[in-house]
Amino acid sequence: MTSAVAVATIGVTLFLVGAFALVLSNMSGLLERFGREVRLTAYATDGVTPGAGPALAEKIGALPGVARAEWVSKDAALERFRRRLGGEAALLEGLEENPLPASVEVEVAPSHHSSAGLASLREALARLDGVEEVADGHAWVEGYARAVALLHAAAIGLGAVLGLAALLIVTNTIRLAVYARRDEIEILMLVGATRSFVAVPFLLEGLLQGVAGGLLALALLGLGFLALGGALAGAFAFVLGSAEPAFLGAVGCAGLVAAGGVLGVLGSAGAVAQGLRA
Amino acid sequence: MSDLAGDPARGGDALVRLFHVSKSYLAGSWALRDVSLELRKGELAFLTGPSGAGKTTLMRLVFAAERPSEGQILILGRNADRLSPAAVPGLRRRIGVVFQDFKLLPRRSVEENVALALDVVGVPARQARARVFAMLKRVGLQHRRFHSPLSLSGGEQQRVAIARALVNEPEILIADEPTGNLDPELTLEIMDLIAGAAARGTTVLVATHDHALVERFGRRVLRLEEGRLVADQRPAGGGL
Repeated sequence: MTSAVAVATIGVTLFLVGAFALVLSNMSGLLERFGREVRLTAYATDGVTPGAGPALAEKIGALPGVARAEWVSKDAALERFRRRLGGEAALLEGLEENPLPASVEVEVAPSHHSSAGLASLREALARLDGVEEVADGHAWVEGYARAVALLHAAAIGLGAVLGLAALLIVTNTIRLAVYARRDEIEILMLVGATRSFVAVPFLLEGLLQGVAGGLLALALLGLGFLALGGALAGAFAFVLGSAEPAFLGAVGCAGLVAAGGVLGVLGSAGAVAQGLRA
Repeated sequence: MSDLAGDPARGGDALVRLFHVSKSYLAGSWALRDVSLELRKGELAFLTGPSGAGKTTLMRLVFAAERPSEGQILILGRNADRLSPAAVPGLRRRIGVVFQDFKLLPRRSVEENVALALDVVGVPARQARARVFAMLKRVGLQHRRFHSPLSLSGGEQQRVAIARALVNEPEILIADEPTGNLDPELTLEIMDLIAGAAARGTTVLVATHDHALVERFGRRVLRLEEGRLVADQRPAGGGL
């Protein structure tokens, strides 16, 4: 009975940890997708000739924090603008000269997705000869950087709290199981059993209970994902686009079950050490 | 009463020797006070005294469940006070212990309960089964070996506990009120088994309130009162 309670407790606790990991991995995936859209635009001075443009782009591409740099000449910028205007493109017919500046479009590497990283890259670009002005490609770049930082902090904080809570709950549950068998421990010690002789079966039991709890958590998580994943994907289609919510990978699944085993052994070790002292 | 304090080497074949042993659980309150005694090989001694006199404390000291606050204890030649925690199991394997409440595991069969004492020393299963069968036969319970202890009477349960205590052929047997829960007829049956162990060479210490039992067996009697050993009466003729 106490074994079933221990397995259920470990299962429910790890389910919560796993659900958090699942949300986190999907959020990270989503932010990574957005991250690929983090761009800066370095507008070129008029002095940069079309011939020198690719060299400037190459120079920018070599800066730390730049994933990719693409030269967009004045003509290419106008052509792009024309396409964007679509049916209204006729408005441009009256222009005597091309008013759009040439630029280098910079795709920011993930290492520089933080506010500080973006600021340093912006400064480095602004210092370059041939760069007149640096603009954020999107207004949400700063917000994105804050969201990533917040998510990472929340992941570490909440993960630590959940992990500790899981360990305490599991230790206390297994302590009850050990307490229920304190007579057995006492008798074994009386007939001359060594501490390891007494402890090893409890540790093995803890390991099995932990692994069973981990498998239970995985099953609950899988069922929950099947039941809710489709609905969530529909609800968040406007941000996810065509991306489907993803379940934990093989490493994540194995990690959850292994975490159950580790929790079971640690919980048993703590409880048995107390039982042997009593 | 013998005073062995000055000469720990005396006592010849004594398996249990206490030198001015005191035990205190609370400052200023003594469960045992300045107790010195020895028990020789094959000796059967009764430990008597009112409740709270220190009988259980003395027995716990002998099987190394407690350490003395003062004094020295030699058990089977080992100084119990200097015994490392890792050495305690080795000592306990040479000491059988029987309690008033039997201390059997209800979820294990009679055979498994007795085999526990052999499991912990790593006796192979086949050999253990044979030894358990022989031991259960000695206490008259071989036909109940696959039963749960819960299906047995009090006397039968105590016989199982004695079988567990003796199956490893211990050099010392400690019995704390082994007949406290049994009627007079069963009491004699159990005491015959315990006395039989002494006859085979095991040193036996039996704590009891039962004066009739003590008189009937006519063995050495150690009397404790308020933690002190107030009497040590040996049988006439100096027998064991």
